[in-house]
Amino acid sequence: MNKQDAKALTKLSPSLHANVQAIRTRFGGSSDLIVRLFRSDAAPDRELAIAYVDGIVNADTINESVMEPLMSLRLPEYMQRRGGKLLDALRSCVVSVGAVKEISTLEEALQYMADGLCLIMADGAASALTAEVCGGNQRAVTIPQTQTVIRGPQYGFVEDIRTNISLIRRIIRSPNLHVQIHKIGKQTNSNVAVLYLHGIVDEGILKEVYRRLADIDIDGVLESGYIEEFIQDETFTLFPTLLNTERPDTVAAALLEGRVAVMVDGTPIALMAPTNFFTFFQSPEDFYQRYDIATFVRIIRYVSFVLSMLLPALYIAVTTYHQEMLPTTLLISLAAQREGIPFPGLIEALLMEMTFEVLREAGLRMPRAIGPAISIVGALVLGQSAVQAGIVSAGMVIVVSFTAISNFVMPELNMAATSRIIRFALMLMAGMLGFFGIFISVLFLIVHLTSLRSFGVPYMSPLAPGPKMQGVWRDVFVRLPWWAIVLRPMDLNLRNPKRRPSGRKPPAQRHSDKP
Amino acid sequence: MQQIGKQQLSILIIIFLIGSTPLFELGIKAKQDAWIAMALAAAAGLLLSAMYLHIQKRAPKAGLAELYKIHFGRVLGGAAGLLNACWFAYESMRNVRDVGELTTTALLTLTPKWIVMLLILLAAAYTVSKGLEVFVRVAQIFFPIVAVSYALILLLLIITGLPDLHQLRPVLENGFLPVLQTAFPDLVSFPFGQMVVMLVFWKYVGETNKVSRVTYWSQAGVSVFLIVMNIVVMSVLGPELSAISALPLLEVVQLIQLANFMERLDVIVTLLLFIGLYVKMTTLYMAAVFTVNAVTGTAYRHWVMPVGLLIYASSFLEKNNTYHMWIGLDITLKVVPLFQVALPALMLVVGIRKKYKAG
Repeated sequence: MNKQDAKALTKLSPSLHANVQAIRTRFGGSSDLIVRLFRSDAAPDRELAIAYVDGIVNADTINESVMEPLMSLRLPEYMQRRGGKLLDALRSCVVSVGAVKEISTLEEALQYMADGLCLIMADGAASALTAEVCGGNQRAVTIPQTQTVIRGPQYGFVEDIRTNISLIRRIIRSPNLHVQIHKIGKQTNSNVAVLYLHGIVDEGILKEVYRRLADIDIDGVLESGYIEEFIQDETFTLFPTLLNTERPDTVAAALLEGRVAVMVDGTPIALMAPTNFFTFFQSPEDFYQRYDIATFVRIIRYVSFVLSMLLPALYIAVTTYHQEMLPTTLLISLAAQREGIPFPGLIEALLMEMTFEVLREAGLRMPRAIGPAISIVGALVLGQSAVQAGIVSAGMVIVVSFTAISNFVMPELNMAATSRIIRFALMLMAGMLGFFGIFISVLFLIVHLTSLRSFGVPYMSPLAPGPKMQGVWRDVFVRLPWWAIVLRPMDLNLRNPKRRPSGRKPPAQRHSDKP
Repeated sequence: MQQIGKQQLSILIIIFLIGSTPLFELGIKAKQDAWIAMALAAAAGLLLSAMYLHIQKRAPKAGLAELYKIHFGRVLGGAAGLLNACWFAYESMRNVRDVGELTTTALLTLTPKWIVMLLILLAAAYTVSKGLEVFVRVAQIFFPIVAVSYALILLLLIITGLPDLHQLRPVLENGFLPVLQTAFPDLVSFPFGQMVVMLVFWKYVGETNKVSRVTYWSQAGVSVFLIVMNIVVMSVLGPELSAISALPLLEVVQLIQLANFMERLDVIVTLLLFIGLYVKMTTLYMAAVFTVNAVTGTAYRHWVMPVGLLIYASSFLEKNNTYHMWIGLDITLKVVPLFQVALPALMLVVGIRKKYKAG
């Protein structure tokens, strides 16, 4: 908006017909632009007009709250006498929509109409009224498609940002939940909302979010991924430095932890920052089910993340360079399988991994109806037959399958994608240099990870650098019972690091032994 | 400016001093009294650290090069700084070469040495280019791995009952002289005297008043640990076997066999070896870059690649491993006291009569 302000703005003219003509011209005579001129009892001597874009407004609201009152109502006497202030009168006495605003420039009028507001104009007034009548067809709130839980809320975000914000408002019923909407995208003018909990969020981080959002200059924002790439700390990294989710409860939890959420109109995916490496291993369900189970599952996730990166590389290294590492019986069995396999371990593994990646992508893109075909092709043809045909060894199929499955354990898909790419690099290094290659690659990874930051927060905190307060550990590798998680998890200079008073174990239920 | 915490300093000292030391049986010249030699050298090492810390206290926000300049003047101090940077780079190169030798003899017999050394040096250069803060964080991540690995090894050794303390007898079989000769100067120079490198890094510690305490405690702790590891290896292998083995700890770990499952723990030792060498190499590399940077006053990032190239190129100068060992054990040990003892002592003496601004 700032850039538009800089340009000369056109004032609305007092002539109704001139205004209508200007609006028609600026919309290029679009056929979904509805302009209706009429006269009413409210002001019998002057012509009125309403204008809106069809399809993005709620027709019922327009009829009931704008047209009907305008057509039927008579202004009270004292109002009529005030003459020129017709629009004021209409605003306070006639139009019964919640949000009504007076504007005076053509550009504003056009912008509001494009946003789905209805414009009310009167002859002789050099300004116009806008009425909030947003509507049109929206997808209903449904079960989240990508992040499912067994226990926990079963609804996800939709494309409409107003609905999405309302979903958060319904969880955090507090005036401290602040929402700031920015317009980003010169053409799309997309609504981008910044949400935070006042009194918990770190002001410095909030300012940084605003600064980075203000720097974005792009023609259109179609998804939060656009925003993510503009505001992330480091572009040349495989690791995501912003969390994303389509679950309102996850956003609410992040806000309670002092993070800032960014929502974009037109997508159900919200962003959350800052974050660190370990947050990507937390599923919302961790906090809903029993803490011991949650801890177990969380450890499983860490292990499978490491395995999904390292397992094929380790297999290649062991079978190619370090056979002495294996127990003798296993070694003999593996060697027997590999007898007659025409390729070296590296090629064999790359072949299978590529096959799996293709299968996976195909499964994602192909029409639902032919879905079962992929399982037949994948499981039978590429798995069993490949082994029988002597192209790959059975051991390799096991390794690749387990790697693939363990990749799906990750609750955050973008971190899972990271491990898929790194896996290939590690396989190459293992194929060339064995364990030494793996060690060097992991070394590079660790140095890279520790050098990353997310909105100034070190990516590997609280592991490195160590936590400022020891209690932070209670929700990283393990998840302690809720009454023990005293601190908010992020190692920030939060204004308000404590989420609850410490040392209050709930009293155990006393069973009355005595009758 | 970069800043590290006292906990991070402690971890840096611990992991730097441990390095790859426990894998070797240092002080084997003293036979079964190696641990006494280690203890003596450790005590001397603490004295050296006291000297370094005393010098550091005169100007808490000065690094090694600045300290030289303060004490010896711009030209002489600058020259001393450059010389010292060369020594750091040289010590770093020794670790690079160690990685090359060990990898090509133990892990990848057919792989050319140059690629192994290039890769590990690239990892080090990447770390150095990211700066001290990132490096200490990397050390922080390694610390639990190293701690758990050594703890596991010790635990398994105790369970299997391999250590036999009788191997340490007779104590002081040949009198005190061989022990003294082993401890000074060999064991003092490596590993304890390498603490001199901390003169480069102490100034980055945020809590200036805690530096001495943290340093003493960390160094004392590491010293005890090193002595314990020395005793463990000696009590498992005995003086003769330890003397001829290239990597005594590896031999020790290979002896561990538990429940037909815990057998091939060589990986852990190899991992510890690489981590140790990487940490030492990077610390010294970084110290060299910091010092050159402080002497010349040019941008830090400009020196990462040249110093790295220098290290890489010089790692080819030695013809073979025997030559490498000979230089390391004979020549180097004669030069090292210059940087570890002579120059700091000179600073100490020169500085007694100077007045220092609190800074």
